[in-house]
Amino acid sequence: MVCYPPVRSPASRFGSLSTLALALIPRAVALNLALGAIVSALKLPLYLDSVGTILAGALAGPVAGIVTGVLSNLVLGLLVNPVLLAFIPVTVIIGAIAGVAARLGAFRRWWTAAAAGVVIGVAAALSSVPIVIQVYGGLTPTGTGVVTMVLRGAFGLSMQSAAKVASLSTDVIDKPLSCLLVAAILARLPARITARFQSAG
Amino acid sequence: MTITSRFNRWNPLTVLAAALLLTVVAYTGPAPWAPAAALALALGAAWWGGVGRRVARLVVAVAPPTFVLLALTNGVFAAEHAEAAIGALRYDTGAVRDALVVALRLGAAVAALGAVVTGVPSRRLTRALAARGLPGWAAYLIVASLEAAPEARARAQEVLDAQRCRGLATGGGLGRLRALLPLAGPLVASLVAETDERALALDARGFVAGGRRTALTAVDDPRGERWARLAIFVAIVALLAWRVIA
Repeated sequence: MVCYPPVRSPASRFGSLSTLALALIPRAVALNLALGAIVSALKLPLYLDSVGTILAGALAGPVAGIVTGVLSNLVLGLLVNPVLLAFIPVTVIIGAIAGVAARLGAFRRWWTAAAAGVVIGVAAALSSVPIVIQVYGGLTPTGTGVVTMVLRGAFGLSMQSAAKVASLSTDVIDKPLSCLLVAAILARLPARITARFQSAG
Repeated sequence: MTITSRFNRWNPLTVLAAALLLTVVAYTGPAPWAPAAALALALGAAWWGGVGRRVARLVVAVAPPTFVLLALTNGVFAAEHAEAAIGALRYDTGAVRDALVVALRLGAAVAALGAVVTGVPSRRLTRALAARGLPGWAAYLIVASLEAAPEARARAQEVLDAQRCRGLATGGGLGRLRALLPLAGPLVASLVAETDERALALDARGFVAGGRRTALTAVDDPRGERWARLAIFVAIVALLAWRVIA
């Protein structure tokens, strides 16, 4: 078998995307959508729609994570609901932190992966609240919206506080689970594939 | 899916620019009239473009639930000044009006951008963007991601069916969570394995070769439309500046 170093694309002018990363990104976007469909079919109270973004960040670095996040919301925005385009900044943050966490070796052990997930969850929640307030007035027509409604009705919190607490409570569970899933996936990937990504830098 | 929309008479970038203008008008103009007018215009344009029904479905899925959620939460359950009533139900008219404004803005954005999404084929939009200088790798990523989406959903269903046939329990709270890894595993393994093959194919086809690419099908961009887009761009900047200053 002949091994060759993956060629760097012109994209490396602003980042470090090899052709391997370019080939991975559409697959990672597909994974975000596919896992979203599986979670929905299993009727789990989770999203897990960032696993592809985190995986791309972990395998191919922060730039690949960011591009995957942007493309996922672009595709979902184009195919499902255009409002998801407004949440692109949140996916940028998720992809970037996942890539940096992977560089620090966070996905080698389950507890460091979970810790990285908590950091990603908090960052995602805090960055999504201003968008939810601006676009939806604080309530998304999802499970998080219902939690916000309950918090507001039961504790009389302001819309901003209720939206923040609701986002934190869902993301701090969802993102560590996503990171644990990515750590489990990385541990099971053939060494040949992970080595190719490492050599592509 | 083949879309025969009237929007295809124009350059996709002109349609996209018009949609962005309507969205900006909805969010910066005086409420509730500006968002209501933007919503009506976007729906009218979608109807004219032959995608009215699909766009209306998108709007109905997003705007009314948002209005109901916001009106109930802010206007009824957490109402600070409940000064009006329908029977025994007391509500805050200001909060209900605010909920209406948010729903109208959201509806206008969904209708305007939804008309582009449903009326302009993604490949045509990408070609138009490439003609305006979008790099080849970016065009590849957009088209490949858009095409991977329906395939991924179908594959997820295949994996789900296959694992259920093998006796995987997907019932009960913990059972559903336990089923996640056996379902995600084959999906990820197949997607990552494909990555290697695609990377080889990209390298073999000289994807990273420099130089300008020639489009197989060029997208028309008449001078009139270029001027129209410039006018729209100026209008968007002016509206945003007015919003910041006012």
